Amino acid sequence: MKMTGIIFSNIYDNTLGELTKKRTVASVPFGGRYRQIDFVLSNMVNSNITKVGVITKYHYQSLMDHLGSAGAWDLDRKNGGLYIIPPFANMSTEIYRGKLEALYGALSFLKKAGSDYVVLCDSVVICNIDFEKVLESHIKSGADVTCVANKEAENMKEESKLLLKIDDNGFAKDITINCIPEDDDYAGMGMFIMEREKLVEVVEKSVAHGFYHFEKDYLQYEFNQGNLSVNVYKFNDVVLKNSSVASYFKNNFKLLDYDVRKSIFNPRAPIYTKVRDEAPTYYGEGSKADDCLIADGCKIMGEAENSVIFRDVVIEKGAKVKNAIIMQGSKIGKDSVIENVIIDKDVEVGMGRTLIGASISPLIISKGEKI
Amino acid sequence: MLKRRKECIAMLLAGGQGSRLKVLTEETAKPAVPFGGKYRIIDFPLSNCVNSGIDTVGILTQYQPLELNNYIGSGKPWGLNRSFGGAHILPPYSKSEKSEWYKGTANAIYQNIPFIDLFNPEYVLILSGDHIYKMDYSKMLDFHKENKADCSIAVIDVPIEEASRFGIMTTDENNKIVKFEEKPKNPTSTKASMGIYIFNWKILKDYLIDDEENENSSNDFGKDIIPKLLSDKKEMFAYSFDGYWKDVGTIKSLWESNMDLLDPNSGIAIKDKKQKIFARNYAQPPSFVAKSADIENSYVAEGCLIKGKVKNSIIFTGCVIDENVSVCDSVVMPNTHILSGADIKYSIIGENVIIGQNARIGDSPENYGDNWGISVVGKDKSIEVNQVVKPDEII
Repeated sequence: MKMTGIIFSNIYDNTLGELTKKRTVASVPFGGRYRQIDFVLSNMVNSNITKVGVITKYHYQSLMDHLGSAGAWDLDRKNGGLYIIPPFANMSTEIYRGKLEALYGALSFLKKAGSDYVVLCDSVVICNIDFEKVLESHIKSGADVTCVANKEAENMKEESKLLLKIDDNGFAKDITINCIPEDDDYAGMGMFIMEREKLVEVVEKSVAHGFYHFEKDYLQYEFNQGNLSVNVYKFNDVVLKNSSVASYFKNNFKLLDYDVRKSIFNPRAPIYTKVRDEAPTYYGEGSKADDCLIADGCKIMGEAENSVIFRDVVIEKGAKVKNAIIMQGSKIGKDSVIENVIIDKDVEVGMGRTLIGASISPLIISKGEKI
Repeated sequence: MLKRRKECIAMLLAGGQGSRLKVLTEETAKPAVPFGGKYRIIDFPLSNCVNSGIDTVGILTQYQPLELNNYIGSGKPWGLNRSFGGAHILPPYSKSEKSEWYKGTANAIYQNIPFIDLFNPEYVLILSGDHIYKMDYSKMLDFHKENKADCSIAVIDVPIEEASRFGIMTTDENNKIVKFEEKPKNPTSTKASMGIYIFNWKILKDYLIDDEENENSSNDFGKDIIPKLLSDKKEMFAYSFDGYWKDVGTIKSLWESNMDLLDPNSGIAIKDKKQKIFARNYAQPPSFVAKSADIENSYVAEGCLIKGKVKNSIIFTGCVIDENVSVCDSVVMPNTHILSGADIKYSIIGENVIIGQNARIGDSPENYGDNWGISVVGKDKSIEVNQVVKPDEII
């Protein structure tokens, strides 16, 4: 076995606001029938990574419920499979101070993992990537660490957690953290490959010295000291980073674009998720759906436009839904008007209600609310 | 030695060719024929078993079993991957003395006596893989036990004029079966056998062994086993079922049954969460419905790209329906692509089909009288640009 996967489920919980009030960032619903973790987890499985540890610290009930025994990802295995790694002891109720601290709790898993390499991944990046190609690049480069990075589109420049300038050989020549990218910057995608034994050593040493932040305290620090060679794997396909509520909202609608769907939902490397055995979606007489992504089990009797509609949603007659994300099990009552809204799971919007948010700052209705 | 045992296991007869479904079963067994947007026919009896607490199902296959075997796999999609029990595919196999195909429904069970004995069950439920219905078999089992029956047969009330197409039971006031006639010319009852039997295994086993020794027997449940039990005055009861039940053995009935899903009064509540129908899932993304699309009174499964008009139809997973296409009163099976300008009416389009631009398939019955029928395009076929497929035509 070449690679073991590690997924951080809670690292950025504070960035998605209301949506992560009662769940990990990994289990935030995305794209009509998925949770964010499905993308990175499926990428790993499709890259023949069959041993994956999911590090989590709190609010992980929905995550556990979603992953179950991981059969949906074919990770219910004798050798390998999915491991959920909760905190070993309850040190504090805060989220982990950084990935190194999170990895410290996963040391026994890492030590026993048996693979040559480890792939470390955030759960907020949506793309379809082949980690075998990343590994190939890593081995070829001979670098200590390989970072996966992409070039942000001109109009998409926002503060990035990790920026890399690249020399002619594909190695990082400058690493910056938490700033706006310049033209020649590549933005890190929160995906790293390194040797497993090396990682174990780094985690033990760093945490012992009181360092917790992987990118800052290890990657950037050691790089600046001249102790670390960093290979950059340039990823040229579609990347959606859900690093804030605003980008999460925008990125859901990007899936309405054919080319974006084609890149992310590659039939050769499908995105798996928990199977819910819903019936197909029913479209009633007089219903209308314009440019919508609609999952199974829905009942569409009213009108929907430019929206992402998750499994088991009901839109009653006369209701008008526009620029909205409606999560699993929610009901939009007769003649209600919904615009620029994120409706979390199991929400009931009664008859004739009007909920309108702003396109740059959507209204969020929390899970289970009745309006 | 004490052995683990199951109270009741199911044996699902899934080996029939289903020749009346023509091209749709040319390369696949009838139970594997797609149904209802994301299912296959066999999902119904399998899910019924699971929803009735039966976790051991022997699936008897013979005709074109590859697709069906692949579909069932470990039984995981139905929760039938059990350490004791679960789904088992049972094809005919060669034996030291006599090796043969399944000669009839009773012979198929006879050949699998050793399999059933592995679970040492009190009762055996016999099912077939060609009906669409949702039924709680545990209620029928309770009925069987209450009546201390040797054999219980599920029956459904059919119109008297259709009764001659079925095996018809006549019962006394206690539901005890007093007469059984296979396809009677002059039916005296409207209780039709649904092909669902519960037997006390000890008794059935004896009868199967006797039946096998009888060279004149056709080794069939309806023709041989049931009449023999009746003539031996065994305790046989008819269990009345009043839900939706349809034999989907013909093109027309398969089409009708799909259309019944769209009729809220038909009684087949496909969305009912208490009796979910489980199916193998192919990890398809949600469907995209474009601005140019117009979908009315239809089911559309996941993984589709809909740009055209869809009315009173069932669209299965992974289909692409281009702009200016019209699909009305039709069934479009998985991964089929209908190119722009095509017009589909009253048709069943098989899996993986490509319908060329401006092709015309099927028509409404109004102008055709007796020559009308559902048009069918078989699996993996391509229909040329501008090609016309007439009503009742099968490609």
